[in-house]
Amino acid sequence: MQSRNSIDGLVRPIPLGLIMLGAFLVHGPLLLMKLPLKSYDTNFHIFFASHYAHHWFDPWNPKWYAGFSQTTYPPLPQQWVALLSWVVGLDFAYMIVQFAAILLLVLGVYRFAKLWVGPRASAFAALASVLLGSEAFLVYSAGQLSTTFAAPLYLNSLPYLYEWIRWRNGRALLKGAVLAMAAAAAHHATLLFGSFLFAIPVIALAGMEVWKNRRSEGTNFVLRTVLATVIVGILITVVLLPFWIALFHYPVTQTPIPHPSRANYILSPQWGVNYFLVPYGALILAVPFILWRGSLTPRLRPLLFGFWVAFLLGLGGTTPVAKLLLGRAFEVITMERFTYWATLLALPFVGLLVEELVDRFQWRAVAGLTVAAGLTCGVAVAWATYRPADAEDFKVDSAAAWLNRDGHDRYRYVTLGFGNKISRLAVLTQAGSVDGEWNSGRMLPELTAHGAGALTSSKYFGKAGLEALSAILQHADRYGLKWVLLKDPYYEPLLVFSGWRQVDDLEDKTITIWSKEDVAPATPIESQQRPHGWEGLLWGTLPIGSSLLAMILVFFPERRRSERTISVSTLPSKPMPEPVDSEDLVLRRVTS
Amino acid sequence: MKRGGYLLALVLAIATVGLVVVGTVWPNQSAAANPDAGARLASGSSSPQDAVNTLLQQIGRRDWSAAYSGLANKNDFSEAEFASDLTGNYGSLRTYALLDGFDVHPLRASTDEAQFRANLRWASVVGTFDDPRDLRVVRKGDHWQVAWPLMKEARVPPQVIPVNYLRWDVINRGPQDDWGTQDVEAPHVRIVAMHPVDRGGGVVILGELLNEDVVPAFVTVKAALLGANGATLATEDSFDKISHLLLPKQVSPFRIDFRNVRLSQVDSVHIQPSSSLVSASADPVIGIESQKLNPVPDASLTGELLNQSGQVVNVAHVIGTFYDGNGQIVWVADSYPSRALLPQTPVPFAIALPADVSSKVASYHVMTTSYRSGHAQ
Repeated sequence: MQSRNSIDGLVRPIPLGLIMLGAFLVHGPLLLMKLPLKSYDTNFHIFFASHYAHHWFDPWNPKWYAGFSQTTYPPLPQQWVALLSWVVGLDFAYMIVQFAAILLLVLGVYRFAKLWVGPRASAFAALASVLLGSEAFLVYSAGQLSTTFAAPLYLNSLPYLYEWIRWRNGRALLKGAVLAMAAAAAHHATLLFGSFLFAIPVIALAGMEVWKNRRSEGTNFVLRTVLATVIVGILITVVLLPFWIALFHYPVTQTPIPHPSRANYILSPQWGVNYFLVPYGALILAVPFILWRGSLTPRLRPLLFGFWVAFLLGLGGTTPVAKLLLGRAFEVITMERFTYWATLLALPFVGLLVEELVDRFQWRAVAGLTVAAGLTCGVAVAWATYRPADAEDFKVDSAAAWLNRDGHDRYRYVTLGFGNKISRLAVLTQAGSVDGEWNSGRMLPELTAHGAGALTSSKYFGKAGLEALSAILQHADRYGLKWVLLKDPYYEPLLVFSGWRQVDDLEDKTITIWSKEDVAPATPIESQQRPHGWEGLLWGTLPIGSSLLAMILVFFPERRRSERTISVSTLPSKPMPEPVDSEDLVLRRVTS
Repeated sequence: MKRGGYLLALVLAIATVGLVVVGTVWPNQSAAANPDAGARLASGSSSPQDAVNTLLQQIGRRDWSAAYSGLANKNDFSEAEFASDLTGNYGSLRTYALLDGFDVHPLRASTDEAQFRANLRWASVVGTFDDPRDLRVVRKGDHWQVAWPLMKEARVPPQVIPVNYLRWDVINRGPQDDWGTQDVEAPHVRIVAMHPVDRGGGVVILGELLNEDVVPAFVTVKAALLGANGATLATEDSFDKISHLLLPKQVSPFRIDFRNVRLSQVDSVHIQPSSSLVSASADPVIGIESQKLNPVPDASLTGELLNQSGQVVNVAHVIGTFYDGNGQIVWVADSYPSRALLPQTPVPFAIALPADVSSKVASYHVMTTSYRSGHAQ
């Protein structure tokens, strides 16, 4: 009896506000420390945001690839970073937007999980999202702001769309569609690949319920589903119109660039640790439960299939599934996002598992689960330290200052051995580069013809990378490329033998600057890819507008309606206090 | 319903394991997608070919320990010597080269021994180079092991090497001035030969550049192909097919490649040499010995480089100019020996020649340039 009382606090659903407070306690200090700045892609997003901050309605960015269009990458989170940067600067603006994404995930997981499991299990799922290894991995190690921003928006959108399909709630359709539009404006890969993994199980769930309860409504169900799909499709087409135009005219046909997330994780265990063990963490232990419970409970089967497909895709080249299902896209996109989506789809099961374990083992379960989740999150956060994006941390301020003085920025530059510091350098300097980190946006034939990523890391791409570097150096005159900023002496022989001379050094001679004679100042490259003025106008208004509209609609007071609580627990039910988790209450908590 | 659930769980579990097994036994070999496409399940030594492939894959992953432990003759040398044989020493091209691929051809085989010729293609910062090795594979019980043909580098005995060479220093403007603005007249350089040829679907311009001055010059050559209406068809420069540093009275060949332009489209060629004053020294002196022109099928110019100075040359660049019987340039080609040039130690080089060109070659001239770590100008 005493034991029963001791877990009374866990018998009722954990209040969402408390979970968000937990998210603040876990991620707040890490973001205040600006830990994501060490990740692979954070500075890439800050670079894009920096451009929006200065040229909101002109998505043509001349600082990389001698000019490229930012309409090739959905802008929403970066535009929010740009907006906030006017108040708190770029770095803190990034952290605020990332934190907002984490809070949205808590809410999204809770609402999404409630479609499948009861409110108490949903609250556990939401709590698990705070300590999710894949989330920590993407935030602190990969720096994938857009992925972590878009997925929560979809998770928040789908319950509304479910309400429309299932209960013909028109207001829910409006909210769901606008949220889906905002999610599309945040990330294209999540839209093109992830949204199906989330949406199809929800549609299947609604279909199963209609089939089971009111078969006569089958036609209406199909019509409502089609209508929702059409409306969402139209909104997504409109909000990303410049993106679709760019994709239509310039599809990604460049030579594929190898990525370790496509490796076989058994044959290459170092990548298995990076892309499987770290993101999943203790969640791996829940996989048998997911298979078991998902198979035994018909209602959970759509979710199980969604998880299973995402799980297999996230394994990269460990199975042939990703190659078979994705085709050419397998060689273009990276696979770690599928792992992220798989873990999100697993969370309702995790919530259910936690609920049952807590009910059965009480505080012992709480202690064990807390340790497992804490370790999972801790290892994923620390992974950025054990496997940093850059082997060597160094400042690029002096390099930027050098480029910005004495008219050096009249010419273009390329760095060698700077790793992903090139984004930070691009933020700080006025000079343009022929290199960059957004491979799908580049159009220079010297770069697209070879299967290599950024020139600054050419050596890691073997022959393809070094050929791309040679090709661009060979055409230095063509692009006004006069400066090479060298951090890695590996490249010195190439520069020496191809006619470059060392002219200066920085940072105690750890960075040398090389120049080529008789290069004319850089001129803008005439490019068909440059968006029209009206595209810039759309790009500067619709994506950010979609998010503002979503906020207005979602936070708009709604009539209270009866709670539709779901319980799929197979354990004997226990007395449960009155649930306090109506959606409106949830949203009021968020806004307060 | 419950039975169906059990069945579904079982099917999904078996399918997952089965798919992992399929993906592991027959992994995706597309190097375009996966940087570790060469990874395979271990223990591939049940046949001589498997043993060679396994060893070369381990070398490709720079897994020296695994590669060394599987050698038949590992008692003859240490793991460090084995790794050093493949990666070289003294910051040579080999040191940072990555294995780009390999070909294996069987030469002969018996029940207990087999011989293979393996050609390892390494990607270095200045291009790829081949590393052919003849591998003997021997049977050890039920599996095969490769006997690695170690090429031990010669050791230079301690000695004093007197150095007596010319050197030119340049006093630059102060650091507050814009660098590169030279207040002196540029060294006088002149194109002494130029010959455009149609080759391989493009135009190649061959020529020679003379430093007429009494000071060293840092030179580049740019060329523009002009069409019949005077429009520029293409512009390129000599990149690394030239010696950019010319001492007084020194001549360098140059070659400029234009792709996707036919000679028939070209009305005229505009060549623009440029020069600037640069500090230079005649050291290190690299002798070129035992030169030999080899006929087809392996048309090439081979020889040895001898570093006559007392310092290590990390990377050498050999440029050959080939002339026909009339003294006209018919080809310019180059190569980078993969090993560092140690003092007084000959290092072989080979410059490949196109088969059709080799038959026209009556004479040739070879020059070298060098890179020493920490001495880049």
